[in-house]
Amino acid sequence: MKRLSAGIYRLLTWLMIATVAILVVPVTLQVLSRYTDLVPAYIWTEELARFMFIWMVMLGAMIGVREGTHFEVDVWPALGDRANAALRIVSQALVLVFALVFVWWGIEFTRFGWEQVSEIAELPMWTIFIAWPLAGVAWILFLGEHFIANVRTLQGSAA
Amino acid sequence: MTGIELTTGAAAAILFGGFFLLIVLRVPVAFALGLCCLPILVIEPRLSPMTLFNETFKAYNSFILLAVPFFLLTANLMNIGGIADRLVRLSRTMVGHFPGSLAQINVVLSVFFAGISGSSTADAASQGKLFIDAQVKEGYGLSFSIAITAVSAVLAVIIPPSILMVVWGGVISTSIGALYLAGIVPGLLIAGAQMATVHAYAKIYKYPVYPRSTLKEFLVAGAQSIPALLTPVIIVGGILLGWFTPTESAAVAVIYAAVLSIFVYQEMDGKKLLQALSETGKLSAIALFCVGTASVFGWLLAYYQMPRLLLENVTAWGMGPTEVGFFIAFCFLVVGCFLDAIPAIIILGTTLQPLAESVHMHPVQFAIVGIVSLAFGLVTPPYGLCLMISCAVAKVPMRFALKDTMIMLVPMLLVLAACILWPEIPLFLPRLIAPEYLK
Repeated sequence: MKRLSAGIYRLLTWLMIATVAILVVPVTLQVLSRYTDLVPAYIWTEELARFMFIWMVMLGAMIGVREGTHFEVDVWPALGDRANAALRIVSQALVLVFALVFVWWGIEFTRFGWEQVSEIAELPMWTIFIAWPLAGVAWILFLGEHFIANVRTLQGSAA
Repeated sequence: MTGIELTTGAAAAILFGGFFLLIVLRVPVAFALGLCCLPILVIEPRLSPMTLFNETFKAYNSFILLAVPFFLLTANLMNIGGIADRLVRLSRTMVGHFPGSLAQINVVLSVFFAGISGSSTADAASQGKLFIDAQVKEGYGLSFSIAITAVSAVLAVIIPPSILMVVWGGVISTSIGALYLAGIVPGLLIAGAQMATVHAYAKIYKYPVYPRSTLKEFLVAGAQSIPALLTPVIIVGGILLGWFTPTESAAVAVIYAAVLSIFVYQEMDGKKLLQALSETGKLSAIALFCVGTASVFGWLLAYYQMPRLLLENVTAWGMGPTEVGFFIAFCFLVVGCFLDAIPAIIILGTTLQPLAESVHMHPVQFAIVGIVSLAFGLVTPPYGLCLMISCAVAKVPMRFALKDTMIMLVPMLLVLAACILWPEIPLFLPRLIAPEYLK
């Protein structure tokens, strides 16, 4: 499970890096085409930029769950390792609810986009919408990994 | 109001009560905002969880928000490409001979950085690494060093370009060009307030002073920094002249920073570039994911007409423009303690806008009061990102630097009050340079 999770994590990170790098291209083309004749004035630049952006956000949101970097508010005094792990299990169970919602209704959401194409470039919309259920699946995997680690911490200090 | 199952009160209780409960359980803010909307989406017959998907999709499908990763990428490129080093040298020759030299340089560098990047979190992260250790080695207090790094980082969203102004302009339809110009004077005043604070600290605690730099050193450092210092001119000028949209200007800034790093300063390699791209993606995605769930939350508030009810209640108090200004600042300061600035604009900015309008507060002044208040929220606990990042760099808990941060906030709050009392402070520059934007 750890290997699988680490592999997917690396894949997602590379994909996200690619989206960030690609993001700059269409917007630059857009400006260039307005002031120079170097490139024709493509009309799909704006849409492509937006879709890359959506994928970047969703990929980054997936990665954030594994890295535990989604911002949280800390109102507790400094807790011990075990109390911390217990609290983590509770909060991650709630995130899991959200992940399940993303998978369950996300599939419906994707199916809803099955027949649609985007306004300008006529890309099939499901290629965008599928980011939501996929995010749910990735979260469930990463949350499972955290859960095992947290349970180990609880048992470890009990023994 | 037909077809609405829950009363407004019940909906508010679920949304706000649920949110705070989840926050206390340490559920990440982005997920807490989405989770507390779920029961309502299930209960209301006219709504379904699909709203969650439609609204998050709509939030991310925005050309304006694209500016966020671009601004972060510019900042990251600056750090790895040698631009930051040049600006440190320039700051050193400018304020190095003031009491508390290194801390003064910290503030001045933040001003330069603010003019190039629009992201306070990027500023806090990079300057934390640059200054905190170095200051402690020279005998500055650790808590003081963390605090000044964090509070000076907030300048990045007040001095143009600014992520918050781009988002504000997009969400509440205000001219981003006017906001950029309006942020300059308040930003410089806040920087001045911070330098005065450093001066006072340096006198009390006898912090070290560097020898004065020669005029020649200043000119050399200045000349080396000129290409970097042109960035804000290109961005703000380009927008004012109508050359490009704010999002495009951010992309231009990325290209410009990349060209500077690769060809002019020649300090970039592939590994550093990959790291910059990866950090940019991670940080902006986390911040923006929260924008999606915050949009659902804000959408539900509007569904139950809460902004209108709030307005009716507050108008009944019969406040004048100044009182409304302070009320707005207070609301943003409080919400800024718990929410990131972008979701706060989406939820609170749109809620308060009718109120500001009802007393004829200028939309640009309203924006500046809101953005400056939210900028202060970046260093106030329990959710102050810049303070969190600075403390994380120094590897201490956030409580550690709290007292000094609060002391430094006092003179900054006076500047905020001045912006409320005298609308001309933010409005003066746009009126001078681009009066057509104020209409």
